[in-house]
Amino acid sequence: MNKDPVILVIDDEPQILRALKTILIANHFQVAAATTGEQGMALAVAQPPDMIILDLTLPDMDGIQVCEQIREWSRVPIIVLSVRDNEKDKVAALDKGADDYLTKPFGIEELLARIRVGLRHSDQSQGANKRNIKAGPVTIDLASHIVTRDGNELRLTVTEFKLLSYLAAHPDRVLTHQAILTQVWGFAELDHVEYLRVYIGQLRKKLESNPDEPQILLTEPGIGYRFRTTE
Amino acid sequence: MKSLLRNPFISILLRHLAAVFSVAVTTLILKPIEPYLEIQLITLLYLLPVILSTVFWGLTPGVLAGFLAFLSFNYFFIQPYFTFQVHKTQDLITLIIFLIVSVVMSQLIGQAREGVRLARSREWEATRMYELISALASLQETNSIAQALANHTQETFQSNRVEVAIGNGSGGLAVTAVAPNNSDQFSTPPFFNLPLKTARGQEGVMRLWQASAQLSAQEIRLLEAYTSQGALSLERIRLAKSENKARVLEESDQLKSSLLNSVSHELRSPLAAIKASVSSLRSGAVDWNIAAREDLLATIEEETDHLNLLVGNLLDMSRIESGAMKPQKKWNAIGEIVAGVATKMHKQLQDHLLEIDFAQNLPLVPTDYVMMEQVFTNLISNSVKYAPVNTTIELKANVDSDFMHVQVSNHSPSVPVEHLERIFDKFHRVTAADRITGTGLGLSICKGIIEAHGGRIWAENQPEHFVFHFTLPLSLDGVLPKYPQETIDE
Repeated sequence: MNKDPVILVIDDEPQILRALKTILIANHFQVAAATTGEQGMALAVAQPPDMIILDLTLPDMDGIQVCEQIREWSRVPIIVLSVRDNEKDKVAALDKGADDYLTKPFGIEELLARIRVGLRHSDQSQGANKRNIKAGPVTIDLASHIVTRDGNELRLTVTEFKLLSYLAAHPDRVLTHQAILTQVWGFAELDHVEYLRVYIGQLRKKLESNPDEPQILLTEPGIGYRFRTTE
Repeated sequence: MKSLLRNPFISILLRHLAAVFSVAVTTLILKPIEPYLEIQLITLLYLLPVILSTVFWGLTPGVLAGFLAFLSFNYFFIQPYFTFQVHKTQDLITLIIFLIVSVVMSQLIGQAREGVRLARSREWEATRMYELISALASLQETNSIAQALANHTQETFQSNRVEVAIGNGSGGLAVTAVAPNNSDQFSTPPFFNLPLKTARGQEGVMRLWQASAQLSAQEIRLLEAYTSQGALSLERIRLAKSENKARVLEESDQLKSSLLNSVSHELRSPLAAIKASVSSLRSGAVDWNIAAREDLLATIEEETDHLNLLVGNLLDMSRIESGAMKPQKKWNAIGEIVAGVATKMHKQLQDHLLEIDFAQNLPLVPTDYVMMEQVFTNLISNSVKYAPVNTTIELKANVDSDFMHVQVSNHSPSVPVEHLERIFDKFHRVTAADRITGTGLGLSICKGIIEAHGGRIWAENQPEHFVFHFTLPLSLDGVLPKYPQETIDE
């Protein structure tokens, strides 16, 4: 039988904890709460949750540190919630193993959607990798290297396909510029964000129905890109 | 040789030798022609080397010449010759008078000469001083004052090197000026170390390297006058600066209090709406129907977003004003930024048509993505606010020499010319009745961001259009982006 997924919320602000508890329980999640980084990590060990929602500003330590330490032994999805609105912190959290990032204040629909993506992703990583990825009218066959839009095959360059397949292999997740550049172009090209800009532009022209308002290849301002499969 | 002459001991010796020489020459000339001359004439002629020595070489060479002339006259021309004996009383009197005349004369001439010399050197000193003062008077910067002081000192005292070092008030070194410009550093310690003192304490120090360590008392006095002039100038600009600072502080205080008024008003309005909606929903007095509840809840959400936007804007504004707005410049496509903004603003844009008309193959621009997103968001939302419903908002971008030139034009009514620049000021509204919702900070943030990128932003009235323009430099530290090369090869 299916038990409600357990979400561990680590946040030192009582108002946020109270609100999140109420909302998450109403949405059929079980909630464990911690107000410090130490307490959070102890709880994560004692009762491994299905997901962690983590605030970056904690009284005893930095949330990014918590993220790093949990990643040493667990693949549990982590969503970072923070009032810190600068890209450096976001990128640091993502690079240290966070799966997603939301800036406070956030809409609850947005948070619930991210939670669902996170949980689904962790299910998938336990099962077999998906070979076919669908995003709106676009289908990507990772094995046979065929990309179609509304059934018509698209002609992509080698690099374009490499980039697209890397993004599509991590659907609905934020991938940082550096992660993408390292994966697609190699470590030496780490700083050439301009490559990414050019290729994303090209891919959008081929994939999106309106490249001026992209629905599949989304820009995460200052951080990276997200391949969106859900509406 | 020159340095040898500068040695005071050798110089004195030479001057006295010259006096001796002049008397010897006179004797050599007079002796052969003695038979043709009266003894009185010889006495008068012997006064010539005395005068000469006094005028050219000073008082003591003059007196020396007087004595020597007296002795030579006695030895060579008074009988018995070639002895210092004197037989005739008349000759003795002649000799004594000669001695008195030559000494008194050389004294008088020497004094007059000394007077002229002093007057000349005072004049020189005054001229030099005047030059320095007039050079310093117009200067407003510490480093230019230090440089002027170093240059004038070097020129006046013919120093090998002059250094003026001025502290920054907290123990550190703010400015060092060196004259001549490219003179080498000396390994030896400076000959002179003069403090630049003001009422506040020591502001700095002037160091001199001279060929000779000797400066006359007068030169040292002048040097001290120089340093105190320099110190005075430093004090002058410091006072001017602090006065300026006080004025700026006063102005910024006024600005802050008006800002605070504005901010508290802007913050309270959404809070009031939220509070009213929430307390209505919670009070059991009325049984709200579904539509009314929805309406109140929508108000709460909208006003919360508005508050969040306002807080973000205030934070940005304070970053811009404190100079902490540092763009993280990366190569970005303007089209991509605009696409992201257009997607996010979909709801806001429902009553207007957004037309994006970018030139083909626009180059990438070194920008901070998030900041530029904000610029476009603010300019578009400003257009949405003021332009009539169902009109187009048009975005254009093209390359203009070394800059990307972007235009956001809309059909809002034209802005009076006197407001065109001020619309980029904080909380500036064109008319008092302009209470369209907003934070009053959007355009000033745009200005701050564009200027932090090294660009320019302005607004313009065009027939039937109102246009925001801004420019962005195309190169990042003088470099253009590296584009990958690839063609379809499958």
